[in-house]
Amino acid sequence: MTSRERVRTAMRRRQPDRPPFDLSFGFSTAQLERFRARTGADDPYDYFETDTRMVWPGPTRLATDYSRYLGPLPPGTVVDEWGLAHVPTSSAEGDHAHLEGFRHPMRGLASAADAAGYPLPDIDADYRYEPVRAEIADIHRRGLAAMAMLECTVFERAWYLRSMERLLLDFTDGSAFATTLLDRITERRVGQAQHYARCGADVIAYGDDVGTQRGMLMSVRMWRTWLKPRLARTIAAARDVSPDVLVFYHSDGDVTAIIPDLIEIGVDILNPVQPECMDPAALKRAYGDRLSFWGTIGTQSTFPFGSPDDVRREVRTRIDTVGAGGGLFLAPTHVIEPEVPFENIVAFVETVKGAGR
Amino acid sequence: MDVEPTGSLIALLRQAVLDGQAPAAAAATERALAAGIPPRTLVDDALIPAMDEAGRLFEGGEYFVPELLIAARALKASQALITPLLAGSAVTAAGRVAIGTVKGDMHDIGKNLVVALLQGGGFDVIDLGADVPPERFVAAVRDDRADIIGLSALLTTTMLQMKATVQALAQAGVRDSVKVMVGGAPVTQRFADEIGADGFADNAAAAVVLARRLMGRPA
Repeated sequence: MTSRERVRTAMRRRQPDRPPFDLSFGFSTAQLERFRARTGADDPYDYFETDTRMVWPGPTRLATDYSRYLGPLPPGTVVDEWGLAHVPTSSAEGDHAHLEGFRHPMRGLASAADAAGYPLPDIDADYRYEPVRAEIADIHRRGLAAMAMLECTVFERAWYLRSMERLLLDFTDGSAFATTLLDRITERRVGQAQHYARCGADVIAYGDDVGTQRGMLMSVRMWRTWLKPRLARTIAAARDVSPDVLVFYHSDGDVTAIIPDLIEIGVDILNPVQPECMDPAALKRAYGDRLSFWGTIGTQSTFPFGSPDDVRREVRTRIDTVGAGGGLFLAPTHVIEPEVPFENIVAFVETVKGAGR
Repeated sequence: MDVEPTGSLIALLRQAVLDGQAPAAAAATERALAAGIPPRTLVDDALIPAMDEAGRLFEGGEYFVPELLIAARALKASQALITPLLAGSAVTAAGRVAIGTVKGDMHDIGKNLVVALLQGGGFDVIDLGADVPPERFVAAVRDDRADIIGLSALLTTTMLQMKATVQALAQAGVRDSVKVMVGGAPVTQRFADEIGADGFADNAAAAVVLARRLMGRPA
């Protein structure tokens, strides 16, 4: 079975030779440096032979100046193509995404006209998908599954620009600002999803964090009002182009309350199923005939604080309780943070690969 | 002249804050003050119970982050009218809490909720922000005379800075004059015990209960 066949088989809830796996969204900078020093290899995905590769749109030709939205910025700040400023922290652990601050460019804006006039990137422009098509073809030639990244689909992208507190207040107040901003982002995401589907992606990875470890960040009612219809549009857009593309949805935290809604709008795969706050075995029993589970090995618990034996045990438990009949993709629940022992990563990979023998 | 009973004005204010209706909270505050209700009574009988109830509803899964945010906004609208009247009075706060997200960590949404509920609960809160180095917490004890230090972290990586902060308080010789409480997604009671913190709370409402206990008051 090639990796691509394994991913497609398992995520369609049929029995693969072993569960597919990957290393989630990658290594933190410090962890990557340690990996390279230990192995002499450059790419952890190639080295560990993971079953998927991620793709993103090619680089933009725009050079939008967001300085009037951001004002003076601290040294070392990087402004991305959406106008979000990534501000370094004092952490000595390297410069990965969890260890930086945000400066939100739309925080001080007030009217719906301001939201309409804000310059968004050309993330859906045709030229940016020429390299994607070539990358996916290459991934397929290598027998791997292509995962097209649509992370921070609507809500997270909107709050990155607005600030979470301001955006949630906008929702509560029923503001036209929020409607305009969300609709504009959704429009771009529809185009992006269609491009990915046309380029032959096996999996489109949608994601908006709407969970906390104690349950939903916002009420289900608020989520249904503001976010569900827009997420549904971006999923339907991809399915119009490619009916069998696999729809992956990521939210950290406990999102059990919206699982039936996610299935209803076409989600095939739930990620990362944080075992610190969700019970993968119970979810398999409740939804295993309609939903696949991707992740489930805790980067907040077992990966950083467990022993290699703890990691092996957690992987085997997951295969026993969630893997029957397919529907399980094993992965760390998030980025491998700097303090995760290298031996635990090796134990994870070896146990998954050994499960097929 | 239409004289409203004190109790109903206080109830009106309490409900406006609980419902997150900032203009209604400001209006109720003005009416209550005009009716001669002492500002301290409004704090004790309307604002603190309203935010306590908001915290309980949050803990019970009926309120979510947005409901807490609008309750805090309504609280501020009322406090803006009340606080100037309290200045210089002999009334003391429930305690002084200096709180921040630890060094290297910028995640402040959870910390901000704790700040809002502590302020609502009558505490004098010094919000040190995010990415706060241990020496800043030491200064908050030594110079600002904080009764309690609140430490927040979202990441397993930065959580270890909580230990460094507790150690810095000890090295500066101020550990015994302050209580340390910790919280954040990866933090557990066991971790709090390991690093020698005085308390752990697993949500914003529980943090207020804990802060009162650390001050030696009933929750």
